[in-house]
Amino acid sequence: MKMTVSARVGLILAALAFVFLPMVLGGQWIKILISTGCFIIAASGVAFMYSRLGMVSLGQVALMGVGGWVMLRMNHAFHLPFEVNLAVAGAVTLMFGWLLAMPALRMRGLYLALITLMAAGGLEVIFSTFRFPNGGEGFWGVMPSVAAPFQRPLLATEDSDYLRYIIFWIVAAFLIIEMHMRTAPGRAWAMIRRSEAAAYSSGVNVVYYKAWAFGLAGFLAGISGGLLAGGLGLLDPATFRASESIMLFALMVVGGSRGWLGVIIAGILYRVVPALFNDWTIDADLALVIFGAALLHAIITAPNGLSGQLLDLIAKLSKRT
Amino acid sequence: MIKLDNICVQFGGVKALDNINAEFSQPISGIIGPNGAGKTTTMNSVSGFLDYQGTISWNGEVIDGLNPFKRTRWGLRRSFQKEQIADDLTVIDNLKALIDNLGIKGSQRKQDLEWAIESMGISALAYREAATLNTYERRLTDLARCILGNPKIVMLDEPCGGLQQDETERLGDLILKIPQLTRANTLVIDHDVDLIARICAETLVLDFGKPIAFGKTREVLANPKVKAAYLGVEEVA
Repeated sequence: MKMTVSARVGLILAALAFVFLPMVLGGQWIKILISTGCFIIAASGVAFMYSRLGMVSLGQVALMGVGGWVMLRMNHAFHLPFEVNLAVAGAVTLMFGWLLAMPALRMRGLYLALITLMAAGGLEVIFSTFRFPNGGEGFWGVMPSVAAPFQRPLLATEDSDYLRYIIFWIVAAFLIIEMHMRTAPGRAWAMIRRSEAAAYSSGVNVVYYKAWAFGLAGFLAGISGGLLAGGLGLLDPATFRASESIMLFALMVVGGSRGWLGVIIAGILYRVVPALFNDWTIDADLALVIFGAALLHAIITAPNGLSGQLLDLIAKLSKRT
Repeated sequence: MIKLDNICVQFGGVKALDNINAEFSQPISGIIGPNGAGKTTTMNSVSGFLDYQGTISWNGEVIDGLNPFKRTRWGLRRSFQKEQIADDLTVIDNLKALIDNLGIKGSQRKQDLEWAIESMGISALAYREAATLNTYERRLTDLARCILGNPKIVMLDEPCGGLQQDETERLGDLILKIPQLTRANTLVIDHDVDLIARICAETLVLDFGKPIAFGKTREVLANPKVKAAYLGVEEVA
């Protein structure tokens, strides 16, 4: 398999971030970057669905909630290794993705987006009613006020190590998507995006490959939700509101959906920018205004998002020298 | 031999196809007719894209029970009026997208891909992204897909649409090669009567969803009914 320039740059940056980020950053910022990293993994799932299949999914953050719920449930019920719990969270969310796909498979465009949004709305109600397990009794496992401890991976019990662990997972998520792109599913998805007639005349089983895409996006959401649970130790229903799913999708459009850079930008806008505003004692809600303006900018002038503009700029500058 | 047996298609109150019967026994056959005659509807029926009554078969193999993608796996290939290759894939990936689903593996797969690309003379384009191709090159890619994987039926819907005269001629030559390259029966739809006369031995003429003539191309084109349908003159009694 050939490695593209973009992949090489990405891997080098990831390696640098892996070594240096936890060393130079302070405690609070490490925590912020851990959750940023989780949302980057989730955003990568929405981004490939959008750029490769032309499908709009507005339920990704809600699916993260499913992954997070399963992760916490497993953690407090059994004493299994973190990775086993994470795999279960990924698998259960993958199946949730399929469940979501079932009514959505026959729909396209706006209707598909609406179905995923409705599912996100439904999950929002469930999360805020039953809350997330924190070590209590019974199936829902909620106890008031205090929370039982959360067991992190053995390799990464400290925050700085856990950030490295997250960076490893971001790279893994991008590689999983890239592997799909270069093999039969990626080609089938490209034909589906061209048109269903094109897919049929290529012998592509459209329902099967759409379900596969939903499953993969669900798996990534589940992993990211599980990792977020590991990062914070407990989860708050407010994190997984339906509006958050819409926000993540919108920021993915702002960042650009076609490569890793756009997804990273989306994650940074989603988590780091509001935190910066807090740091500068500016109202964090002001970020929403900026996001709105950025979305308009992206839709009107930058079809490949900020990352597309950035890469164009670099290409132009390197031509000049 | 492609056999259409009593094919009827109804869109609401409109009979888009009314009892089409035809046996295309020649290696390359044509379907012509004015706009709205039902040419593309006929192809879409063979593709399984829409519900139809009647029976479609190739050398006795009935394909009515197969859904669209299974028909492709069975051996049906087609191109569309507007070619349907994926812009963000390379030429060879556009071919792979088809062969992925045909169960052809290993060295055979590699050999088939190379053969299809060479046969259409696009080896130099194999690793170009489809978005950078011109209309003629896209048509060639489409044609390479159509001969890939030992097809049984090849259908070309206006294969020379949007091409210049010399390109149309070259593409016509390539279409004429399909029977030597594959065992498939080829069906061509086009408005360009010169092209049809050149490459199709047999032709079916449709008008308002009804067959008005079927037979040797030269004889069909000389038929006064066909001339009337095409030129809009009143039929000589």
